[in-house]
Amino acid sequence: MILHVPYFIAAWIFLWGLYGIVTSKNLVHQVICVAVLQTSTYVLLLSVGYRAGGTAPVFADIPVGTPVVDPLVQALMLTDIVVEATVAALLLSMVVKANELANTVDPDELRILTG
Amino acid sequence: MTSVIPLPVAIPLIVAAFIALTGHWVGRRFSDALAIATSGVTLWATVVILRGVWLQPVTYWFGNWWPRNNHVALGICFTIDGIGAVIAVLVASLTLAGLIFAWRLFEDTENHFQPLMLIFMAAMCGFSYTGDLFNLFVFFELMSVAAFALCGLKTLEPAPLQGAYNFAIVNTVGAFMIVLGIGLLYARTGALNFAQIGQSLGSHADALVLLASLLISVGFMGKAAIVPFHFWLADAHAVAPSPVCVLFSGVMVELGIYAVARVYWTIFHGALTVHIGALREIFLIAAALTAVVGGFMCYAEHHLKRLLAFSTISHTGLMLAGLGLFAPKALGGFVLYALSHGVIKGGLFLCAGIVLHRLRKIGEDHLHGRGKGMWPTAALFLLGAWGLSGCYPFGTLLGESMISESASSLHQGWLNYLFMFVEFITAAAVLRVTFRIFFGWGEPAPTDEASSVEERGETKQEDETPIVMLVPAAALILTGVAFLMVPGLRSVAEASATRFTDQGTYVQTVLENHTPPSPKLMPSESLSSSLLRSSIAGILALLLAVGTVFRNRLGRALNFTRRLELGSPSLRQLHSGHPGDYVAWLSAGAAVLGGSFFWFLR
Repeated sequence: MILHVPYFIAAWIFLWGLYGIVTSKNLVHQVICVAVLQTSTYVLLLSVGYRAGGTAPVFADIPVGTPVVDPLVQALMLTDIVVEATVAALLLSMVVKANELANTVDPDELRILTG
Repeated sequence: MTSVIPLPVAIPLIVAAFIALTGHWVGRRFSDALAIATSGVTLWATVVILRGVWLQPVTYWFGNWWPRNNHVALGICFTIDGIGAVIAVLVASLTLAGLIFAWRLFEDTENHFQPLMLIFMAAMCGFSYTGDLFNLFVFFELMSVAAFALCGLKTLEPAPLQGAYNFAIVNTVGAFMIVLGIGLLYARTGALNFAQIGQSLGSHADALVLLASLLISVGFMGKAAIVPFHFWLADAHAVAPSPVCVLFSGVMVELGIYAVARVYWTIFHGALTVHIGALREIFLIAAALTAVVGGFMCYAEHHLKRLLAFSTISHTGLMLAGLGLFAPKALGGFVLYALSHGVIKGGLFLCAGIVLHRLRKIGEDHLHGRGKGMWPTAALFLLGAWGLSGCYPFGTLLGESMISESASSLHQGWLNYLFMFVEFITAAAVLRVTFRIFFGWGEPAPTDEASSVEERGETKQEDETPIVMLVPAAALILTGVAFLMVPGLRSVAEASATRFTDQGTYVQTVLENHTPPSPKLMPSESLSSSLLRSSIAGILALLLAVGTVFRNRLGRALNFTRRLELGSPSLRQLHSGHPGDYVAWLSAGAAVLGGSFFWFLR
């Protein structure tokens, strides 16, 4: 059971991130909520790769046969971080521009496109 | 042929980096020419690949990491089959048309239009070629980020920023659902290769497999703009530059459905095949909802690009039906429909770009009668409406006939009426616009909030339509006719789809380097019943468009057209332009879909 805790934590973070995005009143806050939602994927990937008693998968200075955690999910996570950094930077730059043009970061006031 | 396989991804990425670095010094025209040449070369490469794989899929292992021991895939591969290859050809052709159209677009040189278009193209080619689940996600994100940036290219106005922002938020949430799904599948199987995952999952379906399939499907269906994940699409199309809309509507949305199909047939088919009846019901309901909501919203729009965007949503519903029948023939129909719809809709978006270029407005109410004299554009609009109605001689007819034949054999004959409805209402909307803008018939369209969103012209105003704008638009729409001229196209599509849906053969091809015999080409049935249906839809569309335009002169019986044209206020209010609302709909849709997955597939 204790091994399942990280999965519940991932779901918990995901749902809070979703709640934050839906209810946000500030675009900067909303982008950060997207980042929060994304941390759930880190937690999930790390717990998928976890092995009890495993060490870091650096094979240079550990004896052969030492249990290590799965390096592949770490590579996936790294890719994931890069992707998120790009998206967050792009979103935040849009928010900055929106603030310059419309003088607001409240999504309720920024409704130009409707219907 | 094998050495050509990496080129559609590699060449555009390298040239994009080169243009981004040197564009400032070498000047606008040189960058343009280089980008056009690159997309031309990519088009050539994708055609070469298509010729090599159209009946016999090819697996290309990067760094020669083919599966050596016990057929375990450690490397990353492209597994290219006829369907993936032909979609890549569509990607390259639409990019080429868009880049040529953009020759006269954008006064300022300080934007990154050409590199972003090339990255977008490379990512979409990679997306349709890849045989690796995580690679699929990486290409998905690459194309998404390029698309977000392209959508918000005109950063001097608030509307494009809002459209791009909504687009980015909704799609990013979807992308993270995909990552979660991939993580769960990796946890279960320890593999990322499609074939390997499918082999390891076998026929065992439990809650984890269902959850993974749900998360991945929702993520990709968000990209495919299936109701209720579709809200971002109209906003993004309303503000993106016209050549970008061509790629969005023409192929990016279809790639969402392609990805669901790919993942289902290579990974989940073995596990979920006992539930295929229930899955069919779920997907067909989603398809019908998408087609109907998209159709009514399409007729209610007066912003030209939003109208076309909702028409895309409606047609996506039909394409989802092609996938959702879970039959090879219907899948082949989906591909033919996606190809011909892609070129026709792409051409229509370029025509909308011409209207914006010449008349500086995009709302139907502001443009009434101002397009008189632009007869080549008017003719293209009429041809486009004709193509959307699926009438002879457009390729949409072929796709439609395959999907509806498959539907009839699976006792889902009601889909025929769905097809008629979509073809009728989307064609009528485009005809209505043409009659009002170019012929000046009837009274001006009613004004609505959406149509008055100001769009700054993308160019300096001119009194002539530049030939570089007209030629790509005409070429795309006429390609829609060319599909019908290819003999035996339906048989080839069906054979490719049969191979696409054969999980066992797929595993053998990828992991054991086994070459199965090429599938036999079956003769296809006559087109007569589809021909009849789409002709009725086309005639009804013409009547509705004429009735709407002349309703004041023709009498009170036609007052229903006014209601149809204004749309349902509550439905329109749902499209609120608020990113939080859109994500709430995404979550609600995912919850309903998840609930039905767990209810029906217990």
